[in-house]
Amino acid sequence: MTHKYTDFTLQEMMTVAASREIKDGELVIVGTGLPLLAAFLAQKTSAPNLIALYESGAYDCKPLATPSSVVDSVLVPGSAMAGGLMEGLGSVHAGDIDVGFLGGAQIDKHGNLNTHVIGDYHAPKVRFPGSGGSNDIGSSCKRTIVMMLHQKQRFPEKVDFNTTPGFFNGGKEREKYGFLGGGPSVVISTLGILRFDAETREMYLASYHPGVTVLQIKENTGWDLKIAGDVHETERPDPELLRILRDECDPTGIFLKKE
Amino acid sequence: MKVSKVMTAKEAVAKFIDDGAMVMVGGFFHSISYVFTHEIIRQQKKGLTVCAASFNEHVDQLIGAGCVDRMDTSYVGVEVFGACDCFRRAVEKGLPHKIEIEEYTNFAMMARFMAGALGIPYIPINSMKGSDLLKYNAWMGDKKAKLMLDPFGSGFEHVLVPALQPDIGYFHVQRADEEGNCQMWGILGDAPWSVRACKKVIVSCEEIVTREDIGRDPNRTILPGYKVAAVVHAPFGAHPKHCQGCYDVDRPFISKYIKEAKTVEGWKAFMDEWVYGVADRAEYLKKYVDTFGMQQFLDLKARDISSSSVNYGF
Repeated sequence: MTHKYTDFTLQEMMTVAASREIKDGELVIVGTGLPLLAAFLAQKTSAPNLIALYESGAYDCKPLATPSSVVDSVLVPGSAMAGGLMEGLGSVHAGDIDVGFLGGAQIDKHGNLNTHVIGDYHAPKVRFPGSGGSNDIGSSCKRTIVMMLHQKQRFPEKVDFNTTPGFFNGGKEREKYGFLGGGPSVVISTLGILRFDAETREMYLASYHPGVTVLQIKENTGWDLKIAGDVHETERPDPELLRILRDECDPTGIFLKKE
Repeated sequence: MKVSKVMTAKEAVAKFIDDGAMVMVGGFFHSISYVFTHEIIRQQKKGLTVCAASFNEHVDQLIGAGCVDRMDTSYVGVEVFGACDCFRRAVEKGLPHKIEIEEYTNFAMMARFMAGALGIPYIPINSMKGSDLLKYNAWMGDKKAKLMLDPFGSGFEHVLVPALQPDIGYFHVQRADEEGNCQMWGILGDAPWSVRACKKVIVSCEEIVTREDIGRDPNRTILPGYKVAAVVHAPFGAHPKHCQGCYDVDRPFISKYIKEAKTVEGWKAFMDEWVYGVADRAEYLKKYVDTFGMQQFLDLKARDISSSSVNYGF
């Protein structure tokens, strides 16, 4: 027997976990899919004063329906500003934005992201869309939240192509470039929540999602993943949060797959 | 009275888009000129270098049709709709022929357009540092980007990217007058910098208005007429993309293309039906209504959420 607001999918777990990473009053640049829902959810619950903007140039949007993308026309009426890429990504480039969302085909041990190719760049096995605004967001947002499908080939020790640098080879390497942004603060995967060691900048497992084991996560990671001393189950979504997420943030199921 | 620049898409493409030209394709997901895109394909233009901050399935059609040799961009994809498979086939298998890509970031492309528009030869940016985007290049070689120690003493190296001044650009707007003064609203995307950077621009529009209409709301003008070589009247000219205040994105139609383009045969069948098999945009729209019904067509039309007007008085 399923309980309407107590059972949840890993997608919903990820969205709730991402919304918890946003502090009230922050400026957040939002991407299509779960990040968009995470920002909506935070806005309706723990961060009512967050301001969401989109790289397309729409700023502080109050959409009348769930947008299906970051360039949806529904974002425009009611927004505080509808500019273009130079306004949206310009704010990012200037270092004004607190939080950016990222994803990709691969992420490595030190948080570098690949949205270009699997295999050799000149003769790729699989070709992906490229950077888009990903590198801009990763270079200059104060911190980034990365959302990933957790599979071994997607978590290699080193990415095949470094589209959006995280901490390079770890330690203080990022600092020598003088980025305005601080790099990834958290990776929310389909299996758990991973963070970066303050000294080595190596990714470690902070918590595992309900129903997932630490062993399962280690087996789906391409290097010997370190585990936090206080590793624990990811805090389950509160039923009220699930209700808001399903019934208010994505009532027609644009992004959340129905069971 | 200035000379009217109004002509058909067929005339504009034949006259202003030359084989081998660098063509800026305007629009960021929203308001992309499919009128011109399809006409370029029908006229079998060759050897184009196409540039845009980001590309969607429209460039996939240009690549599949063999029009494109080189791309200067940051992204080729359609977000949640799926992959652009002509693009993938070209890169992964060299079908219909190999293409070269000079890859930047979205902001880097915008900065290059801005520099081009302002007549600045190059521009320093904060993006791309340390990434593999600096490791690989195509036809531009080491002129793709340079690293330079900040001459003003921050102690950091910055990435310099060269200005872009495409030979010709095309884009789609809600309204323009016969002289080419263009007004646009909603998601502006790459505009105005991408179009301002071009040596010349051809524009398709939902409505041709009078010069007096433009003058009633001059702050809405995104490109001044002196840049514009041709004005084409093309209602629903961005379909299946959206155009704010006119019609919404046609998600099922984009999904249909993405699905059918998964194989070369499927792609050809789609293109025979919707591009090669129709003479122009009017036939395309008639075919749309005949195929899917008037109701589905009308369902795309935007509801009325009009703005309040402002006082330009003095």
